[in-house]
Amino acid sequence: MTEAQISVQSLSKTYRVPVRAGGLKAALKSLARRTYNDVHAVQEINFTIQQGEMVGLIGPNGAGKTTTLKMLCGLLHPSAGQAHVAGFVPWERRPAYLRQISMVLGNKSQMLWDIPPLDSFRVIGEIYSVPPARLRQTLDELFDLLEMAELLTKPVRDLSLGERMKCELVAGLLHQPAIMFLDEPTLGLDVSMQLRLRRFLAEYNRRSGVTVLLTSHYMADVLALCPRVILIHHGKLLYDGELGSLAQKMAPFKLVRVTLEDGRPLTEDRGGIPAGAEVIEANGNHLTLRVARTAAPEITAKLLQSLPVVDLTVEDPPIEAVIDQVYQEGVQG
Amino acid sequence: MTNQQMGKSRKPFVVGASAPFSALKRILRTSVNLRGGWALIRGTWASWLQYRSFFFILAFGWMIPPLIYLLVWATAAGGRAIGGMTRGEFVAYYLALILVNQITYSQTNWTVGDLIRYGQMNRLLMRPLHPLFDALSSELAGKVVYLAFDLPVVIVLALILRPEMHLTPGNVLAFLPALLLAWALRFFWGYWLALLAFWATRADALLAVQDSLVFLLAGQVAPVALLPGLLHSAAVALPFRYMVGFPVEILTGQVDPVGLALGFAVQLGWLALALGLSALMWRQGVRRYSAVGG
Repeated sequence: MTEAQISVQSLSKTYRVPVRAGGLKAALKSLARRTYNDVHAVQEINFTIQQGEMVGLIGPNGAGKTTTLKMLCGLLHPSAGQAHVAGFVPWERRPAYLRQISMVLGNKSQMLWDIPPLDSFRVIGEIYSVPPARLRQTLDELFDLLEMAELLTKPVRDLSLGERMKCELVAGLLHQPAIMFLDEPTLGLDVSMQLRLRRFLAEYNRRSGVTVLLTSHYMADVLALCPRVILIHHGKLLYDGELGSLAQKMAPFKLVRVTLEDGRPLTEDRGGIPAGAEVIEANGNHLTLRVARTAAPEITAKLLQSLPVVDLTVEDPPIEAVIDQVYQEGVQG
Repeated sequence: MTNQQMGKSRKPFVVGASAPFSALKRILRTSVNLRGGWALIRGTWASWLQYRSFFFILAFGWMIPPLIYLLVWATAAGGRAIGGMTRGEFVAYYLALILVNQITYSQTNWTVGDLIRYGQMNRLLMRPLHPLFDALSSELAGKVVYLAFDLPVVIVLALILRPEMHLTPGNVLAFLPALLLAWALRFFWGYWLALLAFWATRADALLAVQDSLVFLLAGQVAPVALLPGLLHSAAVALPFRYMVGFPVEILTGQVDPVGLALGFAVQLGWLALALGLSALMWRQGVRRYSAVGG
């Protein structure tokens, strides 16, 4: 195995946040003496990422995703622990490091607002010391992949959100970074624009071998792009592995979908549902039951005996449901 | 991890003569990307030209106070001299001051605090180019736009108000470096104040204080030579005269050789302090910023 491109050891970040109760009295008191709370945004997380991987960093709001990304791109000093990215310590922010990475934020822009994108791209190209010939070539490729020739002459402020996001991606990629940090790249975009951006990212990764660490609240982004996910919650790493195995590991239950004979009113059959199976959806003669993973074979056998079943499937819960459960309840077992 | 541990794990800050200078060296090292800096200037200039009228109005606003004092002093002088200055010399002084004030005024510093407050500093910190370049680029871009407005106005005023100026090659030669240093001093003095935004949310109040002091002590209300006793001493010792008044006095021939040498020495001294403080604020500020998150 080659040396990891991103390696993170026991990385922690604790913020010190001033606290005070509401009201004038508390406000005056806090002038004289402030009290602080420690917020453990990231706690001792470890992972490594190889060159060319596309990894999804997922977790609920406030889980520590953005803090982790900010440490990796050098904007934040950790409170403890280490990280090495492409052989650099990110928070030293050496120019040689900054030339190798790119951080694209769904809600922040690095375009100059009042001039056409092409002019911004030239400026950014110069800032990253991209030779003009290479810049032209890179831009042509990106414009082509993103189908954006028609946007290039309009001032950025006249572009739509999706068009602007395309520009952000070009701005983030024109120096051909080895590593890309993407924070909510599809935020606020319509479904077809999301699809096009995902297709672009997958294709770009295939062509250039760029390493991608992506955060998104849209599971569709993660499903489409990231074979591997890192799940953090309350600053702790809960899961690191294949997205497909997340359900097995995180959700110790399966969904049993049952179709009963036509015309049988469901209420009559409630008694036939074995213990350990929880009805989570009942719609006409279709039933969805939640059962413990280990009890699934036994319960399906009982169901077949006790109910007039015409169809039965056993499946893993959809990824959104698993994630939701983890976000709500933390890890099971 | 507790707060105490956090404190320990951070490098202690050593106050020493070398601290600001090593920080300055670091800035220089990360900013020898001159092509990038120049491109940024051109880009900023292009965006600013979209708003010509806005900046023309700003420039007009900045021109008003010196213009008022021009008229006040020129009228007061009438046919005689005040403090050795005739009506025509007051006109020349204030017309030069309008231009010098515009050239040295650092409007950029007002936005530095906003960049920090609204987290836009993140974007600048992630570029392989020192964020100072961002400020310098709008600074230079601004000068071009403002002067495009100011120069024609001053020329027209000169034709109407008949200034009296005895330009000598020596004065012009001394004026140019004094002007450049005045700009640098005013810019970096404002820059270190603006960088206090890393600690205090509304540090730009201090910029307003600086503007008031410049108004009072830099030769705007009256030429520094005409200021009474204590105020005059304060104006000569404090940095503000060297941001505006000093180059104007040189150009209009009010400074003798001894005053010139002394003036340059004081100007350079304040500039060195401003540079040191800027570098120090920057280093400590970014350290704090990256500790608490932008």
